[in-house]
Amino acid sequence: MEPYNPLAEALYTHREGSLEPFLMRSRQAMGTRFTVYLYDTEAEREHEVFQAVFEEIERIEKTFSRFLASSEIVRINDEASQGPVVTDPEVFNLLVFAKELSEKTEGAFDITIGRLSRAWGFAERRPAIPSPDTLRAAEAAVGWRHLNLDVNWRTVEFLESGMELDLGAIAKGYAVDRALDLLRTLGIEAMIDAGSSSIAANGEYFSQRWPIGVADPVRVGESLGEVFLGNRALSTSGIREQSFTADGRVYSHLLNPISPLSHRSAEDSEAPQVMQTSILAPDSALADGLSTAMFILGPRRGEAVMEQFPACSVLWILSGCAGLSCSGIRWPATQQIIEER
Amino acid sequence: MERREFIGIAAAGLGALSLGMRGYGSPQAIAPSDWVNLGVIGVGNRGQHMMRMMLRVPGVRIAGLCDLYEPRIGEGRKVTGEQTPSYSDYRKLLDARDIDAVLVATPLGLHAEHVIAALESGRAVYGEKSMGRTLDDCNRIRDAARRTGKMLQVGLQYTYAPWYIEAQKRIREGGIGQVTQVQSYWHRNNNWRRPLPPGAGPEIEKLLNWRLYREWSGGLLAELGSHQISFANTLFGAMPVSAIASGGIDYWKDGREIEDNVHAILRYPGGQTLQASFITTNRLDGAQERIFGTGGSIVLTHTEAIYYQEPWYPNSAVPPEMTIGHKLITGPTYSAEQPYQGKGDTPIKGEASDADLLACREFIDCIRTQRRPSADENLGWSGGVTVALCNQALKTERKIELSEFLAGTS
Repeated sequence: MEPYNPLAEALYTHREGSLEPFLMRSRQAMGTRFTVYLYDTEAEREHEVFQAVFEEIERIEKTFSRFLASSEIVRINDEASQGPVVTDPEVFNLLVFAKELSEKTEGAFDITIGRLSRAWGFAERRPAIPSPDTLRAAEAAVGWRHLNLDVNWRTVEFLESGMELDLGAIAKGYAVDRALDLLRTLGIEAMIDAGSSSIAANGEYFSQRWPIGVADPVRVGESLGEVFLGNRALSTSGIREQSFTADGRVYSHLLNPISPLSHRSAEDSEAPQVMQTSILAPDSALADGLSTAMFILGPRRGEAVMEQFPACSVLWILSGCAGLSCSGIRWPATQQIIEER
Repeated sequence: MERREFIGIAAAGLGALSLGMRGYGSPQAIAPSDWVNLGVIGVGNRGQHMMRMMLRVPGVRIAGLCDLYEPRIGEGRKVTGEQTPSYSDYRKLLDARDIDAVLVATPLGLHAEHVIAALESGRAVYGEKSMGRTLDDCNRIRDAARRTGKMLQVGLQYTYAPWYIEAQKRIREGGIGQVTQVQSYWHRNNNWRRPLPPGAGPEIEKLLNWRLYREWSGGLLAELGSHQISFANTLFGAMPVSAIASGGIDYWKDGREIEDNVHAILRYPGGQTLQASFITTNRLDGAQERIFGTGGSIVLTHTEAIYYQEPWYPNSAVPPEMTIGHKLITGPTYSAEQPYQGKGDTPIKGEASDADLLACREFIDCIRTQRRPSADENLGWSGGVTVALCNQALKTERKIELSEFLAGTS
């Protein structure tokens, strides 16, 4: 079987020449393309295994999408301004995880960004600079501190009216995690790639024999070094995807909840601009969330935040007067990346 | 009726429904005596899904899990988020004093045993569809509900879907003229198998893939078609007078015992027809009901209802762009009968809610207020028996009259 490699076209590349058999199938979900790679010696169960994996991904989408009218997140967005809303433990636990991540990242990651996301129109693929009034109203409805999660009653409540949850920054990663959990119970080694921005693997085959290249944000198709996933997840956020330029300024879908007018943080405007951030983490939801946060925070503010995540690594790709540069914390061979560049 | 009027009324109807759903109440506001401790018999995929839905209803706790297959207990505890007491024998679960109500999500062939035992234990029961695998199963379950006086809600969740309710209301009021035909599809493209864990033997295979074996399964007609068949019964206000069906194991020849494609035609007393199609090799048409009336059509899916008006209908307000495919064109094509290719209207746009969650809310509300659910033992019996009737037609490869089926002479 000739391995089709969608990763090469986007943010990651893998080394060609693998001769060992594996199974691969893709399906559209959560606004992106999920590709599932299996290394399974019991190939006769291929059909039902893929089916179960994609059903699990679909289940997560149906639960956490803010676009599907029957999703739990839409219900919470509709009702939580009016009072506490009880939800099931899975949804509640992911919200607790997200809020804790907001706290640890000083608000750079924030799932209450829903109104702001809608105002900018990135998710709807119609990005534009919102009017000042729209932006002010959206900004007022953002703030993880106003998300009240009562662990005793398992309830969600918005303390500011008009708030909206948007789990887009971690939902794909969470779906990857759940799908990999399912495959673990079936004893199958696997790698799952969600739109090239979230990728995770388990088992020896994909973890140790499939190097993943981190894409060069400028030179399309080239990579800036490789990593082995080794039973962990890799997530990348960057301005190459979903950004637009207006009045000489780049606006990214990675919205800054702290300073909503731009993706740039409160850093000195003379500092190098973050082009791309990659995170290696034990699971994909954490990798996704941290990747967004580190993109917003940049290396200067992000370094202290990363101390709270000793099992995670970060690589920033920066653009400044001297061209591209790299900065990493616990990232494998960061120095080599810088030298090669 | 004008198109705009149809949409306006539909939206107003949904608004009222939505209002009822909002501000549903937080668990803090539920009196301790109104909390419902639920026992679950059958913690497979469907059981876990319904547990999640039940846990989104304020004042519900899952107090017991029962499954023969031990890994399901661990999966169920992940759903509840606690070390929920577990049982491998459903009778032990029913012996537990703190269980107020029971959710039965076991294989179809076991519904009668589990639902009847749960009713006889004095609990209200949410029994997954179809009601029972055979006519006898359905009769016994209905009799048990009547004998015990305990509430039984059958898992026909679309009974509570606002877009289904509104569509039926509009149809009753003549919104699409006289309904003569319903075509329903449940088309999938998969083998309907669950993957097996390492080392699983034939027993585990049959347990996890029970839908493929006659002992427990009613096949595609029961597992997929029961919703649509029950809907047609409700729409036509009657059970069918006869059914014919055809199908076979024609693609997935993997040792299964139930058909991988089934097509049934049901005739109703008023001269209406339901054509129901179930396949597992193509998903273009997905799951939908197409309701054809002399003045218009409604297409129902799992998320919305789409309304189409017949372009020639008196007082038609259909704008020109909606009549693509119906315009007069000279030439060899008989364009008047080209399929409609416009978008139609969505009467209940953007107001969809999860039908399973609505069904769970109804169940808990009915327990607290001691009222009957819409999908009670009568609706469940009607749908379950109709499914069994169709399966008899499929098995015998001949037209079966309802009267002979009920008399046990088919």
